[in-house]
Amino acid sequence: MADIIQIVVLGLALGGVYALMGSGLSLVFGVMRIVNLAHPSLIMGGAYVAYWGFRLYGVDPLIALPVAAIILAATGVLLYKLIFEREAKSAKYSEMTVLLTFAIAMIVEGGLATAFTNTQRVTSPGYATDAFFIGSVFIPKGQLYAGMVSLALIAALALFLKYSRFGYAIRATTQNREAAELMGVNVNMVGLVSFAIGIGLAGAAGALVSFVFSFFPSKHWEWVAVLMSLVVLGGMGSILGTVVAAYVLSVLAAFVGYFFGATWSVLTFYLALFVVLLVRPQGLFGEKPEMA
Amino acid sequence: MSELLEVKDIVAGYGDGPAILNGASLTVQPGKVHCIIGPNGAGKSTLLKAICGMLPVRSGNVRFKGESLAGLRPDQILQKGICFVPQERALFPKMTVRENLRMGGFSLKDQSDLERRVDEIEEQFPILKERRDQHAGTMSGGQQQTLAMARTMILRPDIVMLDEPSLGLAPKIVQQVFDIMKVMADTGITILIVEQNALLGLRNADWGLVLDLGRSLFEGPANDVLEDDRIQELYLGGKKVA
Repeated sequence: MADIIQIVVLGLALGGVYALMGSGLSLVFGVMRIVNLAHPSLIMGGAYVAYWGFRLYGVDPLIALPVAAIILAATGVLLYKLIFEREAKSAKYSEMTVLLTFAIAMIVEGGLATAFTNTQRVTSPGYATDAFFIGSVFIPKGQLYAGMVSLALIAALALFLKYSRFGYAIRATTQNREAAELMGVNVNMVGLVSFAIGIGLAGAAGALVSFVFSFFPSKHWEWVAVLMSLVVLGGMGSILGTVVAAYVLSVLAAFVGYFFGATWSVLTFYLALFVVLLVRPQGLFGEKPEMA
Repeated sequence: MSELLEVKDIVAGYGDGPAILNGASLTVQPGKVHCIIGPNGAGKSTLLKAICGMLPVRSGNVRFKGESLAGLRPDQILQKGICFVPQERALFPKMTVRENLRMGGFSLKDQSDLERRVDEIEEQFPILKERRDQHAGTMSGGQQQTLAMARTMILRPDIVMLDEPSLGLAPKIVQQVFDIMKVMADTGITILIVEQNALLGLRNADWGLVLDLGRSLFEGPANDVLEDDRIQELYLGGKKVA
């Protein structure tokens, strides 16, 4: 029984981080219909900000988190202005964004590898290797802090979307872009801000990732499929769905890791992706496709 | 007569495609119900989309209260006082009825007044009050149309443009839609409506405009347009309809 609790606790702690990684991706897809394959590579960018902050200046990654978020959000604004804004009018927009973001991912990876080499890194503040014990269940402090910070950020995002005027505009644009425009929403501005928030969340997630996992520039490929499976299971564009999916799959993955070995735990995400697409393509909280 | 809105010789189309409107013109007088009729593909919906800024006007001009609307975004044109309800009704399916009404007032400068205005609309349309916490996407077609039309009144606009509000509704419900339109007109809102059913549209309007192949054929008092021989030929299949 203690083993089961242990597995669930570890799964939930990681689930929070995955949820944060996925929610930015989901927000960007919901508002902009951009399948952002570059999202994980930008998370990597945030991880490097936190890593160098710690290595060079001894800054705690949790303190570096807002800095990483702001730097990445600014990157997001730049990408949006340079690339996505002008392509938004194209008829093949959604398809094109897959190639565009793939290219961005390659460029970010190449840039990071050139600058920082492909060495494995990990930020190691004291708590990253420490743990709490409750009875015989141990909770690694690093994962616990990362999970809690993630949850707090997601809650803040949810409150912002639910109650702020701009949040209304974002939700409206997600549900019906044309209608939002007719209600007086400047949808281009909504696109820009959502993109910046989404990429900013990637930066924040990166700061957390930097002490939870060891990382190197090309590691983002592993996360592409993991994050896509969260977004698909949750229902494309549903942030709540993505968060629920992240927790469910992380706990499942922890069980798979426990019973079949750690190597197999990632398989959980890939299998989930297949099964969801076969059985319930609209995901947990998604709309049924209109063409069905 | 002073015109509220004047559309002159506009050319417009979708993307890089051919022009759908080839020099359409229209004058809108304050306080009246204007009905645009014409066969399929005449450019009726396109005309409304060009006026509200959803489609760029390639040439010609649109003037509202004497001021050119050229180059303005839809949200800016809305601020000036022109609302548009497209055929698809532009609702937010996963927001509640009340939230949809609030979205109607999104562009209000003074947001503190919004809740009171939403309350007013709910008083005026009891069905919306009854369904306030229901997701808009789960309502019937007629109720959705009521919501879409009532929602425009939150802004107290000068002009509301309705694109085939009766589309897909049962005949009994269609009359309700025109009743709501009357309520709107009675509050002083000028109406511009596109209607596939010319007879029905003109009977509920003061002024009629006939559009064909992207051009304005002729316009006049709704009754005169209804009786006009050219209409009988072009649109009603040459048969005189009482």
